[in-house]
This record gives sequence, C-alpha cells and structure tokens, in this order.
Amino acid sequence: MHRLISTLIKEVKLLIVDKTGITVLFVMPVLLVFIMTLIQHEAYKSLSQSGIPVLLVNNDNDSLGFAIENGFKQFGICELTVDDGTIYKSSDDIKKRIVEGEFLAALVIPKNATNILRGNVDELVNVFFDQKSTVLKNPEQVKVEIIIDPTANKSFVMAINSGLKELISSIKTKLLFQIMGEKIAQLLESDSKAVLPDSDFFVYEEAYAVRDLKKTYQPSAVQHNIPAWAIFSIFFIVLPLAGSIIYERSEGMFIRLRTFPGNFLSILSGKLLVYFIVAIIQFVMIILLGKYVMPLLGLPVLDIGTHWFALTALTMMLSLAAVSYGLLIGTLFNTPQQSAVFGGISILIMSALGGIWVPVNIMPPVMQTISSLSPLNWALTGYYELFIKGGDWYATQYQILKLGLFFVFSIVISYRLYKLKTRIN
Amino acid sequence: MKADCCIQISNLSKKYSGNDSFALKEMNLDIFNGEIFGLLGPNGAGKTTFFSIICGLLQASSGNAEIAGYSISKNLESIKKIIGVVPQDIALYPTLSGRDNLLFIGRMYGLKGNVLKERVQECLSKFGFDKNSDEPVKNYSGGMKRRINLIGGILHEPSILLLDEPTVGMDVQTRTSMMEYLKELNVNKKMTILYTSHYLEQAELFCDRVAIMDQGKILCLGSPLDLIRQENGTDLEDVFLKFTGRKIRD
Repeated sequence: MHRLISTLIKEVKLLIVDKTGITVLFVMPVLLVFIMTLIQHEAYKSLSQSGIPVLLVNNDNDSLGFAIENGFKQFGICELTVDDGTIYKSSDDIKKRIVEGEFLAALVIPKNATNILRGNVDELVNVFFDQKSTVLKNPEQVKVEIIIDPTANKSFVMAINSGLKELISSIKTKLLFQIMGEKIAQLLESDSKAVLPDSDFFVYEEAYAVRDLKKTYQPSAVQHNIPAWAIFSIFFIVLPLAGSIIYERSEGMFIRLRTFPGNFLSILSGKLLVYFIVAIIQFVMIILLGKYVMPLLGLPVLDIGTHWFALTALTMMLSLAAVSYGLLIGTLFNTPQQSAVFGGISILIMSALGGIWVPVNIMPPVMQTISSLSPLNWALTGYYELFIKGGDWYATQYQILKLGLFFVFSIVISYRLYKLKTRIN
Repeated sequence: MKADCCIQISNLSKKYSGNDSFALKEMNLDIFNGEIFGLLGPNGAGKTTFFSIICGLLQASSGNAEIAGYSISKNLESIKKIIGVVPQDIALYPTLSGRDNLLFIGRMYGLKGNVLKERVQECLSKFGFDKNSDEPVKNYSGGMKRRINLIGGILHEPSILLLDEPTVGMDVQTRTSMMEYLKELNVNKKMTILYTSHYLEQAELFCDRVAIMDQGKILCLGSPLDLIRQENGTDLEDVFLKFTGRKIRD
C-alpha cells in the first residue's frame, strides 16, 4: 500500500508539473462534448422548430394545393414560403434559387391538380356504380414536383416526402367520400348532402417506451449526445496514459523501477489509479456541463436518472476499461508515435462501431453484430438505460459486467506482454 | 556461503538468445563484506550483463549468485531490499525536481515522513544541492543529474551498493567528491560497494580489490597494488592493457 501511495503521489506530481498537459486533459473533453451537443441540438432544432426554408409553389389554388399548404404549415417541419405561381414560373427558376441556397427544397403543385384528382375519383366512382368495368383505364396523373438541395439531410427529405404523400392521400380520400356520397344521394333521389368533417378519424399519439412507466421522455441532443461524447472523450485518456508508460519504459527510470522492492504491478497500479481518477473527474465535469452550463444556452437540462449506484458502477467500469486499454496500448507499442496513431484510430473505430457517431439500429445487420463487441457500445447502452429509458442496476448490470471483463482481459494481456517484453532469461 | 562473503558468484553464465557466444562464461567471484570492489573491462566485456544479473534485471543461463546469503534465483525480493542500485543511465523523472525524485525513490524503499525528508535534505546538502534542489531535473547540468542519480542509490543506506559506471560525464571535482563520499559510507556504514568503471586511475585509488574481465571471463583478480606488482606494470592501466590487449572494441 505504501508503494502504491508513493507511486500515486509521484504520478500526481508528474501530471501537475505538466500544466499544458493537464489543461488539455480536462478542457478538451468538455469542449468536445459541448461543441458536439450544440451541433446536434441545432440539427434537432432544424427539424422541429421550422428552421429549414422550403418553397411551396401552389399553381393549383384549389383544395389539393390549399390542403398541402395548410398541412405543411401545421406540421411545422420547415419555414414555408408560398407562391401561387406568379414569382416562380418554371422548375429551372426554382432550381436556381435552391442552388443559390435560398431554399433547401421546393414543392410544385401543378395547375388544375384538384380538378384532375376530382375527375379521376369521379370516374372511379362511375366505374364502380355503372358496373361496366372494374378497372379505371389510363387515369390522368397529377405530377407533383419535389426539388431538393443535394446536400439536404436524408431524414428531412423523407419527412417532406411522407408529409406530402399523407396530405395527398387525405385529400384523395375526402374527394372519394364526397363524390360517392353525391352518387348515393342521386341513386336514393335524396337532396341531403353529407359534409365530411375536417378532422381525421385517426388521432396519432407519439410516446416513448421507457422502463419507468410513470416517466415521460422527450428526445433531446443533451440526453443523447452528452453520454455518447463523454464515453468517447474518456476513452481518449488512452493516449496520454500509453505515452506515459512508453516514455517511462524507454527512459533510464525503468531500470530503477524494476530494482525497487515489491511487485512491479504495485508501481503500475499507482499510475493506473491516477488516470482512473482523471477519467472520473472528466466524466463529472461533463455531467456538470450538461446539468448547469447547457441550460444557460437554452438547451434542456441533462437528466441523469436516480439510480446512483448503477451510474457510479457504470462510470467506474467505463474509466477502468479506458485505463486498461491505455495500459494495453502502452505495453504493446514501443514508441509514443505508434501508440498515438493506433490508439487514436482504434478509439475512432470502436466509437463508430459503438454507436457514438450514428445509432446502432440504423447500421446494417452485420455491423450491428460487430457493434456489440465494442466497449464503447456497452457503455453507451448502459448510459442510455440510465439517462433515457429510466433503467436501474438490473438494466445496466450486463453492460457493467462486460466492461469489467474487458478491464480484466486488458490487464491480463498487458501483464503477459510486459513479461514477454522484459523477459529476463 | 563463506562467512565473510557478501556476494558469492558460482559458475555464472549468460548466453543471450540468438547469440552464439557467452556474455558471461562460468564466472566465479567472491566479494567480501565491507569491501570496495571494482569490476573493470573494455566495452563488451560483460560488466553490465553481470551487473544486471545481480540486480535481478536479467536471469542467468546457468550458475548461481548469492547476495548476503540470498540466492538471486529464489530470494530476489529479499535482495532488492538490501541493495542500492545506481544505473549507468540517468534514472530520474526530468520534469520533477531533484527533491521530488528522491522523495519518490525513498518512499519506494520504505522511508516515510520526517525521516525521509531529513535524509533527502542531508543528501542534497552533502552533494551541493542547497539552492536548486526544487528545480526540475531537466534544468540540471550533466554532473548534477549524475549526483542525484547516485543519491537515489544510497538514500536508504543499503548494506550493498551496486554502481554501474557512476562517474561517467562528471568533472574531476565532482568525481573526487563523490568517490570520497562513497569511501566515507564504506568506512562509517560498513557498506559493501561493487562498481564498474572505465576510470582505471580512480579504481586504483578507490578499490580494495579489482577484477579485470573480458569476453565474459575474469582475467585477473586482486588488489590494484598486488596486480601491478605481479604483472610488473607501472599502473593499473598498464596491467589492464596487458590482459585485454590494445584492439578497439565495439
């Protein structure tokens, strides 16, 4: 224990004297999380807070055109500019405006769209009532143009497309019922005219499935990004730790360290313990950022749940996993350059696989399987359980266990490598 | 082990893997309690290999070494507690001060609290570090680094001190002062000292006995004066050249 404390004191002193290094160690992770969350928050905002400029050229000026116009205004997924065909006369005009960045997308409803649709529906109803044929031959098509900036986010394009299809389908159904009602009234020789209500028969309610059934959840950049980027930046502790191990090994001090009484592991443990504490402090700083700084910028407050034991265990195991990976890299490679390149890139790969950059559920099935091997994925799954799904110790225990096993595995491999490299026979 | 023997080497051999020749070949040597023993030899003679084996940094291919009755292959941990090691390379953290380096080394040898602080201060004063002991080691001159490196080996007052070319790069004044201090430790604390060196005149003055070795074997052994007399040499360097030849070594 005395030697462990001695090494601990020495490592703390080594960190403190390197003022630039210690600043980088604590400031950079916080800065990374801050910037990434802010960027992602803007992305959330652009889809939900009418930020994206969209042009609607309503040449129809009838039911279909107005339904689409009102529908998009109600959806609130974009900032809508409506033209009745007086300013933007051709597709080429619109394309030029989009290329210049004035709009991200444009919808062009052709002239007489409602009449054409009504005509088609009318004919369809006639076919049905006349019983001459069951097939409507060559219906006249309404060509609705969607012109999109090629740099537009794919999810935004999908939202525009599905919104448009939903509105057209809705107006088509309305016309169908209206014309059928008129036909039935003619057959029954009745004067009554049924008026369809404006509201739909269906009401859609969106709710998120979380473990705590009493809890309501709203997705936000803060809840998703802070744990993701915190894990990513904590794993970057691998670089200074591996560099420190390699530097110590390549300098004369290594000989003295090996001639000290006691197990060399106790010396190494002191170093690992200091970096473990650094990782914990990094995590706490990032959580404080989410709870107290982000709200000052108009972002939601980070909700870290109420399961403190699970959160502490998960964070400790994440830090131990990161530190043990640093030890493994530091033992495996002979120069700081080698460890920096391999360590840095391997963390990028593990983070990409782990769902830090893109959600795992949108990855191809093979990548999803590989993803489950990334320690960053285990940690992320654990934090999502605690921060988003309202999970507790039981929901996170397997992720904690996997991180623990990764820690043990890295330590054992490092020890064997160390023995191999300092083989005294 | 002989009663007055401090270090006993029996048929010690070392062959590095992938190398046909022996770095040490059936070496036998007795170093006695309270003795200052110099191990001399040209580059590649096997001095550092021998030094590394008795410090526990290397394992011998065959043979045995006993230090204070402890076998190096079985009781290395007990040996580490009673020896002090001064490596050839500067074994210090450059960004820490000389004092912090010594405090760390002292703690690793089990020194604590005021005893440690006082011991560090005593050594720093003895070696002329009254003013700059709290500066980072990287700012020190080569001689200052060597002195702190040496203090690291003697701080815990070991009964056996192993020094691998401790005075390389030191000016004459520092070297003389350091050797005098080691002599003082030897006399007052009965510290057994084994050191390797290329400075033959220093060994001649300082050592009770020396061994000249080459190609992994001890070629001659005795007190410097006895060796000079036996070989009809003018000084130890003359004897050294007689045994090891004039061919330049790698």
